[in-house]
Amino acid sequence: MAEKKTLPSFSKSLFSGFIYDDQIFPFPCQKPDENENLEMILDTLNKFMDRYVDSSQFDRDERMPGDVINGWKELGFFGLVIPEKYGGYGLSNTSYVRILEEVGAVDGSTALLLGAHQSIGLKGLLMFGTEEQKQKYLPRLATGELIAAYCLTEPGAGSDAGGIKTRAIWDEKKKVYILNGSKMWITNGGLADFFTVFAREEIKMENGRTEDKITAFLVTRDMGVKSGNEEKKLGIRSSSTTALFFENVEVPFENVLGERGKGFKIAMEILNSGRVGLAGGCVGGSKRALRQILAFVKEREQFGKPLNNFELIKEKLAQIAMNIFVAESMIYLTTGMIDQGDVDFSLESAMCKVKATDNLWDDVNECLQMAGGIGFSQEYPYEQNLRDARINIIFEGTNEILRIFVALAGMQERGEYLKKMGKALKDPIKGFGLITDYAMHYMKDRLTTDRLPDVDSELVGSKYEFERWAKNLHITAERVLIKYGKQIIDKEIIQKRLADAVIDLFGMISCISRVDTNIKKFGHSECRHEILMCKTFCELAWRRIRRNILMIDKNEDEAILAIADYIISEEKYNYHSVLR
Amino acid sequence: MNIAVCVKQVPDTETKVRIGEDRRSVEERDINFILNPYDEFAVEEAIKTKEANGGEVTIIALGPDRVTSTIRNALAMGGDKAIHIKTDQIPIDPLVVAGALAQILRAGNYDIIFLGKQAIDDDNAQMALLLSELMEIPAISVVTELTINNRQVVAHRQIEGGFEKVETGMPVIISTQRGLNKPRFASLKGIMAAKKITIEERSVSLTENRIEMLELNYPPQKPPGKIVGEGPEAVPELVRLLREEAKVIS
Repeated sequence: MAEKKTLPSFSKSLFSGFIYDDQIFPFPCQKPDENENLEMILDTLNKFMDRYVDSSQFDRDERMPGDVINGWKELGFFGLVIPEKYGGYGLSNTSYVRILEEVGAVDGSTALLLGAHQSIGLKGLLMFGTEEQKQKYLPRLATGELIAAYCLTEPGAGSDAGGIKTRAIWDEKKKVYILNGSKMWITNGGLADFFTVFAREEIKMENGRTEDKITAFLVTRDMGVKSGNEEKKLGIRSSSTTALFFENVEVPFENVLGERGKGFKIAMEILNSGRVGLAGGCVGGSKRALRQILAFVKEREQFGKPLNNFELIKEKLAQIAMNIFVAESMIYLTTGMIDQGDVDFSLESAMCKVKATDNLWDDVNECLQMAGGIGFSQEYPYEQNLRDARINIIFEGTNEILRIFVALAGMQERGEYLKKMGKALKDPIKGFGLITDYAMHYMKDRLTTDRLPDVDSELVGSKYEFERWAKNLHITAERVLIKYGKQIIDKEIIQKRLADAVIDLFGMISCISRVDTNIKKFGHSECRHEILMCKTFCELAWRRIRRNILMIDKNEDEAILAIADYIISEEKYNYHSVLR
Repeated sequence: MNIAVCVKQVPDTETKVRIGEDRRSVEERDINFILNPYDEFAVEEAIKTKEANGGEVTIIALGPDRVTSTIRNALAMGGDKAIHIKTDQIPIDPLVVAGALAQILRAGNYDIIFLGKQAIDDDNAQMALLLSELMEIPAISVVTELTINNRQVVAHRQIEGGFEKVETGMPVIISTQRGLNKPRFASLKGIMAAKKITIEERSVSLTENRIEMLELNYPPQKPPGKIVGEGPEAVPELVRLLREEAKVIS
């Protein structure tokens, strides 16, 4: 199994009222020789993409030329995260995500090809595989001889991944598992020869009962996996997405990945670690969109002056730049945490994914808007950018599911603590230690304000707002837990508000750390644009947080749900005509 | 075969060049430095020569500390060794550079020395010939095709309206022109291998510059385009202007 996460999660701790700033300050940066490597890789990458990656041609053809895929293989881009001893290049998470960002800035489908292979397709093998399994498959995965796919989703199990039906039955005579079932929307499905597959099996538990559990398997195409036709898609059309069919596929016992019955956990941990790569690709997409539109609004004239003279255009440009700045800060703070090791980053990577994908969608949408009618034409890149961006909000956990995950996982620790507290209050003598511990913590919470390390004087205001709203989040989360108890699980709108608040908080602290660290390196005047960015974002963010927190108590949720319930029961828009 | 490639670090072609306050140098601060594109053909040809004949490729570059990134780039394409001739800056007089390179090249006893036909920053295009003179070995410049057979070198040189086919023996200096080959991309494998190669640092005594930079200027602004008129009736005037003003037709 993967190594145990020893350091507490920064964002989960926020819910509990703690700020673990040592994970945040200074903003993580790579060793000089790692950066030198990265520069050289990016150089090769850009030269290669310049010559061979034609995103709009790929989109029109709905396929990527085979020799371009081979080019990626020959250059080594399928083995970025695989350790050197297995024939890969052992890059840090930071370098890997930076590379995906650069690819995402040229072609979303290509970012997906490489990302699905390395962020999720082979990640399970890296994290949970045995030495034998790694030696058997990683060298061929590193060269791209085998392309990997991650296979969880099924026709009946999308967001509810626990509901998968693909079944593995142990055949005692043949000494193999027999897999039957099908998978849907598998990225790289038509190209891959190596599949990380999740299937149900009946497992005899220690207590003698049999339970239906999910187990992860390493499956290769030659075991009998069949791909369906390439899906016709809205965007990322040159990437391969197919269904997969398992009909009596025989999988040897040694291809069980990790512990039997722990497949769901493995599936989630792979996704947790993979999401930040997707976020990186999206930031690349936003950067490209900004670059294109900046050239456009400079040239395009209306009312006798270039578009970039108009306030409503400038507002959009600034928002896009800020979106990029914040997402980038969150992502590379998170990859820094991951590279440092031994830290629970599941919330951070989910937040990066939500933020970067929502941002990308807003950014390409606004760019299309700025281009006006031209934006709507297939002659220009804006509509493809929009189509390519859309999937990101859906896959690797819809942003709705991820917001729920952020809120519930964030509150879980505190919830358990409160549950224990509840018991302690019923039995004060036994629970005495707990109660004093709680009282101390409670006092500390309300007396201490200055809990971040000193930051540059320019950022003191931003830091103050972070601390103020971090505390507010903690108090609110606790209040919500006490008010709703277990029922909080169904209060999705409240969860969304809490998630948005904590995403904004993480955005604030990421920017504060980044800019503070840069001021120390380069001085104030060199960083004045970044200071402006950080302060502006923090101002806007805390106002959003305030609104979200206020709306937890004062809202129209019940009315909104009643409206929904009415139309759901009527099965149509059933109101009196306006004309009668 | 003992093969050398001399490479130069130059500003990226997309760099917006800014002239320094002294009006005699270029602001280096925001410049992205790259391997001179013509030298990429030289590195590629050197590696191909090694692959065909065996031997070693030594990358040689002259300049300040920042030059090491360019050396690594060349190594990542497939070089085996590297020599960095350390100087405070790259002298503007090509003869000074040639003198320094010649010292190192003589000591290396190379069979064949490759370099780009010119650097894209100062465009002097003199190095191959200066080295030939100083080292007293033949140089073939502006090469677009090269075959090596039993230490005999046959090269096509690009000349106005055609090519020359010339032959010589080794040692020889070859300056490379676009069309000779398609430079490979540095693979991750090459990049990682390059990191493990120690770049040998050398210092040499430089001769005096005999060329002095007096002034740097931006090229004159392009005059805006002119719309002569619309429709067929504008054609005679357009033809007249193209003939008499622009002088592009006769």
